[in-house]
Amino acid sequence: MAKKPTTSPASARQAKIQAAQKSQGGGANKIVVATVVVVVAIIAVVAGVIWSQQSQETAITGGGKALPTGVAALGKGYPAFQDVTAASNAPVVDLYEDFQCPACAAFEAQLGSTFQEQAKAGKIKLVYHVKNFLDDNLRNDSSTRAGNAAFCASDAGKFQEFHNTIFPNQPANEGDGYTDAQLKGFAEQAGVTGAALTTWQQCYDANKYVDYVNSVEEQSFTDGVRGTPTVKIDGKDVELSTIASPELLTQAIQNATK
Amino acid sequence: MSTEMDGATSVEAAHEPSAGRERVLDVVGLVVRLFLGVVLVFAGIVKVGRPLTAERAVQAYDLFPLEVAKWIGLGLPFVEIALGLLLLLGLFTRAAAIAATVLMVVFIIGISQAWARGLTIDCGCFGGGGQIGANQTKYPQEIARDTVFALAGAWLWWRPRTLGSLDHYLFGH
Repeated sequence: MAKKPTTSPASARQAKIQAAQKSQGGGANKIVVATVVVVVAIIAVVAGVIWSQQSQETAITGGGKALPTGVAALGKGYPAFQDVTAASNAPVVDLYEDFQCPACAAFEAQLGSTFQEQAKAGKIKLVYHVKNFLDDNLRNDSSTRAGNAAFCASDAGKFQEFHNTIFPNQPANEGDGYTDAQLKGFAEQAGVTGAALTTWQQCYDANKYVDYVNSVEEQSFTDGVRGTPTVKIDGKDVELSTIASPELLTQAIQNATK
Repeated sequence: MSTEMDGATSVEAAHEPSAGRERVLDVVGLVVRLFLGVVLVFAGIVKVGRPLTAERAVQAYDLFPLEVAKWIGLGLPFVEIALGLLLLLGLFTRAAAIAATVLMVVFIIGISQAWARGLTIDCGCFGGGGQIGANQTKYPQEIARDTVFALAGAWLWWRPRTLGSLDHYLFGH
């Protein structure tokens, strides 16, 4: 409206605007480019999510509903020392471990024998939850195969021995995993020999307990287990620093005994 | 094409009191843009192919229902890569910088609330994540690191013009 016609004629303005537009150069239409970029980005992200989800579902499976002896249902832990009748007031101690977890190996080296002595003496009901979540992060399948191998050993009554053999033999470098031959060697060291070893091999090759291990992984996460090792006494999370020595652990077990 | 570019430069040079200073800021912008771009692409790539770990890293923050956190965990790596690529190319620099800055602020809030609530988690910023021992947490370092990234984003938000950007070649700015 209130333009000053003398100093800034409309035609001069127009020329300036045109010059400015010209100087923006290229001629690429920003809206078109933006639309293309946004559409490509959305497709890439959605495709990535779907691919990730599917790669997770095609992780190794096998065995269906097969359960190790003494396990009540898929997702439940494996009771140790099943031939021992624990005292009626003995607390339930749940141990959550992954066979590739170095912290679990250190934990077992320090406290494993205490847990096992207490369980053997019937002072606790020890339950192992064998997890395999490290496979994803380490991009291998060794935790799953090791779990399967351990429960195949349980068919020969040698779960505990297998468990106690594998941790001290963990690879020095986290992520190197276990070969099939190594796992077979652990089974032999655990005392699975002769015909039992043939049965073990068939079980191992059939992935008999893989779905069971997967179910334990899922159930324990749902139950709030966010890392390994995790210890629960009578269902309550135990802060590991409070059971940092065999004496402290024994004390904690006594405190939990009603 | 080239004459138009030359024209643009000379027009700018005529208008700016200090073309040299602008040139330096363009170079600074380039460095900041490449830095943030590389960080985002790297942060995304290390999470790709580890879907369960990525899901659980987000779930560990205990901020969303598990099912929601799962999908965030699956999607986040690709969002990071997409934003990082835009920054590396210098395409829609300001929009990408705004998104990256907001993302970093969200990360800082997430880590801070975990710290404040006494959770003991790894931020999972560059893979990994999940619960760790109480004496293994690195909250101050993680927050400081993300603050640097947020500042880089804020710089490009404030001044998205950088040397050698696609924005410049396609749209002339």
